[in-house]
Amino acid sequence: MATVTFDKATRVYPGSDRPAVDQLEIDIADGEFLVLVGPSGCGKSTSLRMLAGLEDVNDGAIRIGDRDVTHLPPKDRDIAMVFQNYALYPHMTVADNMGFALKIAGVNKAEIRTRVEEAAKILDLTEFLGRKPKALSGGQRQRVAMGRAIVREPQVFLMDEPLSNLDAKLRVQTRTQIAGLQRRLGTTTVYVTHDQVEAMTMGDRVAVLKDGLLQQVDSPRNMYDRPANLFVAGFIGSPAMNLVEVPVTDGGVKFGNSIVPVNREAVAAAVEKGDRTVTVGVRPEHFDIADGEAKSLSKDEPAGIAVTVNVVEELGADGYVYGTAEVSGEQKDIVVRVGGRSVPLKGDVLHVVPRAGETHVFSTSTGERLSD
Amino acid sequence: MSTPIKDPIEGVDGPRSSAGPRRASQQERFADSGRVLNVFSHGFLALWAVLIVLPILWVVLGSFKTDAQIGGSAWTWPADWSFGAFQRAWDKGVGGFLLHTAIVLVFSVGLTMLFGSMAAYVLARYEFRGNRALYFFFVAGAMFPPYLALVPLFFMLKNFGMLNTYQGLILVYVAYSMPFTVFFMYAFFRTLPTALHEAAMLDGCSHTRAFFQVMMPLAKPGLVSVGIFNVLGQWNQYILPLTLMQKQSGTDPDRSVLTQGLVNLMFQSGYKNDMPALFAGMTIAMVPVLVVYLSFQRQVQAGLTAGTLK
Repeated sequence: MATVTFDKATRVYPGSDRPAVDQLEIDIADGEFLVLVGPSGCGKSTSLRMLAGLEDVNDGAIRIGDRDVTHLPPKDRDIAMVFQNYALYPHMTVADNMGFALKIAGVNKAEIRTRVEEAAKILDLTEFLGRKPKALSGGQRQRVAMGRAIVREPQVFLMDEPLSNLDAKLRVQTRTQIAGLQRRLGTTTVYVTHDQVEAMTMGDRVAVLKDGLLQQVDSPRNMYDRPANLFVAGFIGSPAMNLVEVPVTDGGVKFGNSIVPVNREAVAAAVEKGDRTVTVGVRPEHFDIADGEAKSLSKDEPAGIAVTVNVVEELGADGYVYGTAEVSGEQKDIVVRVGGRSVPLKGDVLHVVPRAGETHVFSTSTGERLSD
Repeated sequence: MSTPIKDPIEGVDGPRSSAGPRRASQQERFADSGRVLNVFSHGFLALWAVLIVLPILWVVLGSFKTDAQIGGSAWTWPADWSFGAFQRAWDKGVGGFLLHTAIVLVFSVGLTMLFGSMAAYVLARYEFRGNRALYFFFVAGAMFPPYLALVPLFFMLKNFGMLNTYQGLILVYVAYSMPFTVFFMYAFFRTLPTALHEAAMLDGCSHTRAFFQVMMPLAKPGLVSVGIFNVLGQWNQYILPLTLMQKQSGTDPDRSVLTQGLVNLMFQSGYKNDMPALFAGMTIAMVPVLVVYLSFQRQVQAGLTAGTLK
């Protein structure tokens, strides 16, 4: 078991002037499950491959425990990796695949056998040990790839989108299995995915990357409740947070026909920079349908903003309303979550008010978070 | 075949029904042209097969005939199925020629495959300065007929004292087969997934072990294909051994390979030809190649179509 430290690690691909990973700084605690997430091309896989030793580190350092592994070859790093396409050796049986690393390390045959059988039992692979990968289903191959990592008992597990080749149902099932297995083994794990649901459900902490730059590292809860900037706010959460640009007014920001309270200093700072507007973010579930009791700016109109319903997605427990609203003279797409028993019809107009304390305010120019 | 497809389309009402007959007729026309093409191409292939099989059959049958029969009535069936000609051919040294060829080929094909695949692997998998240049240098060898280098080769081997030695001919064969082997295996290694190599590195393999225990087994179909190609090519070599495998002195042992031996067989008999023995020798020479090919046929096909399916 060990900690993992990215210390300003940078990777510039030859022939490119922009770093693929730019001064990445993350401290991963012993036994932690860290998920690297971001859109494709954000550098998450590159970061993982740098840790694996498959990619050069051009600047900065990477440490596993106290050891500086920046320029060590992969085999000296005491890590195991699960690849996206599993990379099982097609000419070896499942047992040989799982025991290959131990065989190279010179572990005696009896011990390899017991460790492989143990891992196979955990992963429910015992009856397949004699088969070649060709004769396995996608889910079984995935488990063999996991098994190959487990038998080595490495200091760190690296997983590069290990679930992306599975069908939707199996993916959800395997997701919990992997997370559970990691808790049980207590091995430090770095997991790469582009799926923010995977990131939120599996990780102890989530690191969001964009264009090679680290945006935020935090627990899934905090990531969801307090996104550090506009990108994270838009990326984490499904459906995405509603982000609306609104003018700054006295005592807060004007959101449709309501005032959203915002920290005075933050707004002042934004105004100082020359911003006349800020971007307000409200998650779909943090809109309340106005029923006339909410405080309204003008008495003639109902509170909040009027959303014209375009599409309703009914998910059973609840429904998502996709509509448009006119905010500051512009048509904006707004998503609102409603209860599953009270879904509006297409073409209805809903008056919604953001719930107090559940709004996020970001600077329009820099994208930084302004509210607490 | 066209009726079950036509029926449901005609059954549909509305605008689609008008498209139905047209599609069906197109299909028939397509099938017609296919039939014409089939007759033509199959006829052509049959003709080709006859052109190839007939001479071989004639040689095999010839080894059961007598001289008079071969000269007199070329198209008759052998009168007497005796293996006498085979016995005479063997006595005239075909066994020795076979042994010499086998010794040379075991080493030359083995070394060609080993060095060729190693070079191809490095060129295909590792990035370094001059990688492309080196690859083209290897492949350029294929553009150059080795026969143009016959005289320099002769003097080179002479200077090394390697004329009429196994190692001399083996080295020349390895060099001769290297370009195609590298070319073919380079393309093959390129198609293998990088992740496997990376997985091997993470599992703790050295470069050598990753090559021999992971990449080589994966490249087996390719190795078999190019291996058979090399066996055939080197088995049938004539000019190279003729130049480089000649007795240098009276005491020098005869190390003629099969092709040389067969030609000797023809000339040895002087004015009195022993054609059946020659044919028998040729038949003997064909058998090992056929055996090699037939036993690896499946892998050859796998090698040629590898990478098309996951």
